[in-house]
Amino acid sequence: MDFSQVDFTPEQLALESEIREIIEANWTPNYAHIAVDHDRMPVKVRMEFAKRGLLHPDLPKDQGGAGLGELELEMIAGIADEYWMPTNVSNSMLIPTLEKHGSAWLKEHVLPGIRRGEITTCLGYSEPDNGSDIAAATTKAVQDGDTWVINGQKMWTTWGNESDYVFLLARTGAVEEKHRTLTMFLVPMDTPGVEATPVWILGGGRTNVTFYTDVTVSDQYRIGPVNEGWNVMSEPLATEHGAGVETQGVAPVNGTMGQTFSRVFEKFVDASIKWAASRKTADGKSRLEDPITRMAIAEAMLDLEMCWNAEGELGKPMSAEALSRNADRMADIAAPEGLLDFGVDGSIYAGNIASERQHAPGTSVYGGTTEIYRNNLARRLGLPRPY
Amino acid sequence: MSLTLRRNDYSLTDEQGQLVDMLRDIFTEQSPIAVVRAAEPLGFDQKLWDTVKENGLVTISVPESAGGDGGGLVELVLAGIEIGRTAAPVPLLDQVVALRAFAALKAAGADLAGLDMDAALAGDLIVSIAPISTWELGSQLIPSGAVAKAVLAFKDDSIILMSRKTLAPQAQNEGCAPVAWWSPTDSDVATTTVLEGAQALATWELVQREWRIATASSLVGLLAISSEMAREYALDRKAFGVTIAKFQAISHQLADIHMDVVTARNMTLKAAWLTENEPEYRPELAAMAMAHATRAALRSTTKAAHVYGGMGITLEADISLFFRKVTSWSLVGGGQRRDLEEIARAIDTRAAELQLQSSNR
Repeated sequence: MDFSQVDFTPEQLALESEIREIIEANWTPNYAHIAVDHDRMPVKVRMEFAKRGLLHPDLPKDQGGAGLGELELEMIAGIADEYWMPTNVSNSMLIPTLEKHGSAWLKEHVLPGIRRGEITTCLGYSEPDNGSDIAAATTKAVQDGDTWVINGQKMWTTWGNESDYVFLLARTGAVEEKHRTLTMFLVPMDTPGVEATPVWILGGGRTNVTFYTDVTVSDQYRIGPVNEGWNVMSEPLATEHGAGVETQGVAPVNGTMGQTFSRVFEKFVDASIKWAASRKTADGKSRLEDPITRMAIAEAMLDLEMCWNAEGELGKPMSAEALSRNADRMADIAAPEGLLDFGVDGSIYAGNIASERQHAPGTSVYGGTTEIYRNNLARRLGLPRPY
Repeated sequence: MSLTLRRNDYSLTDEQGQLVDMLRDIFTEQSPIAVVRAAEPLGFDQKLWDTVKENGLVTISVPESAGGDGGGLVELVLAGIEIGRTAAPVPLLDQVVALRAFAALKAAGADLAGLDMDAALAGDLIVSIAPISTWELGSQLIPSGAVAKAVLAFKDDSIILMSRKTLAPQAQNEGCAPVAWWSPTDSDVATTTVLEGAQALATWELVQREWRIATASSLVGLLAISSEMAREYALDRKAFGVTIAKFQAISHQLADIHMDVVTARNMTLKAAWLTENEPEYRPELAAMAMAHATRAALRSTTKAAHVYGGMGITLEADISLFFRKVTSWSLVGGGQRRDLEEIARAIDTRAAELQLQSSNR
């Protein structure tokens, strides 16, 4: 057991300076935008990071990484967070999949670009008629000699409007066969017949619905064997869900999304304190001295500490729900200013409170609903499949 | 600005793992439900206490310099979890917290002449503390107060030692915890001042934190065993022709209970390690561990009993026994409200860090 502060080596301190310089030269924080978990790393930062192997810092140098360890990864995440800078690149979880299952052609022509940060990808899993039930996908891929013809529609294709490829789940047999007739493809988004149209979500974020009409791609874009798509897809999904993550005792234990939401939550607690400090009650005292306000913020702090302690797959559902619960309450406590957007007269930091209440509900849905997480957790507890 | 990072290593050493095994063996063998029930309503079993003494557990986390085994707060938490898992009717946690407090007081030059330290270290004299004495004045409920003859408390800027020659009568409670009313002005109570001034307050704050962590660990244990029992029942019980664990209405509750167990355990271990090793860092962590363990134990033992349906509310069901224990064990320290008041002090710390001042808007 060890929760002590890490003493950085000279190399690590140099890394910290380097990261700060890159971010300060290429990114202007927007303190009106509290939740950056749905946003992509700014392009200029991405290109600078890529040059130095910092996009996939844990990969060996000869694979486009920087050969760094868990501690350095945490440093990068911590510094980015300080500048309210989004860090999503979305590729990290695809690299091992391509290494394992990609065609020789993909490995030669696409994988290096992904490693270098020049090529970006998005995910094509959900459809209008199936979200959590991914194995019910109906987007069809039909083989025609050396090519495949894809027809269908995908939902929640976040970054689909700005990605080079989509990691696409397609049906290659009878739909009744569920997960036994699925195949994965890496489809170039500029292929004729691919179209992304925006869907705007609470809190102002964008995702997309993507249409695939007679999209024809070479067999070289297939990932893994035909009808083995379920297994090919499940590996990166499990990583996203925080399963089986081996830490070296530095990274927080609450999984990728748990950490991301907890960092948003941290900003939210600060925003709540800033709001309370900026307001006075009728008797002229600071809101910070008001017992009801103090209880609400103290409970938010308690929930935040709970989120950092929510191990593995528990991280996402617990932090998503804690965010929602506290955003609801603080918006209420901060009423009426709690409803005002950032920059509006009278909002000050309440802008963060209002926007977090808009953002929070999504965290219990995207990347897997909290119900799916509970199903998974129940399975891990040895309980039978749901009735 | 410069970045700071902390480790997040919750792993136990081999020795700590062996300690858990040993404690689990002792308490599952010596404190089965029948013993727990037989010890009610007082909530104390002399034979089990003798076993605890014989196994050297009374000094488990007492510094070597004070006659103990040199174990730390983490070891105390591990013991607390096992005590909670069996609802063991022994005042070990309060005893060890008080012994650690005596060690700290001695180190601070306090006068403990009125105390038979050898008897306390041997477990022949049961000692406890008054966890809410900075909060409530006068007469107050003391954990293990119905079996203890010496109690440390805080009064008028001083740490005082209250002693009785006879035992205080138990205040009846649903969880059958050996709690009792003690008052420094009671004619049966002899009171001596042990330490005064700023040093007394600083020492007492640490004592309170350690008591919270120890008590939280026992709640983690109660919670963990309730979780396991509810899971087994749900796998066993059939309704509508299937095992009820197949219903998401049940399995999701079990998942929620499990989340409470894991987070409460981790928060308590983390608070223990940091309180031991870096008491200046985030002093609110002990209150957080206790507040979360309390709310988690209250809500999740309710859910666990609910999984049992009607059986869960019968007194003969073991799950209802754990539900009852949670009520008494979690609330004797003042409940979440008191912990949240403590946590709220971190708001002021954070506001100062953010350099905020009230505006007049």
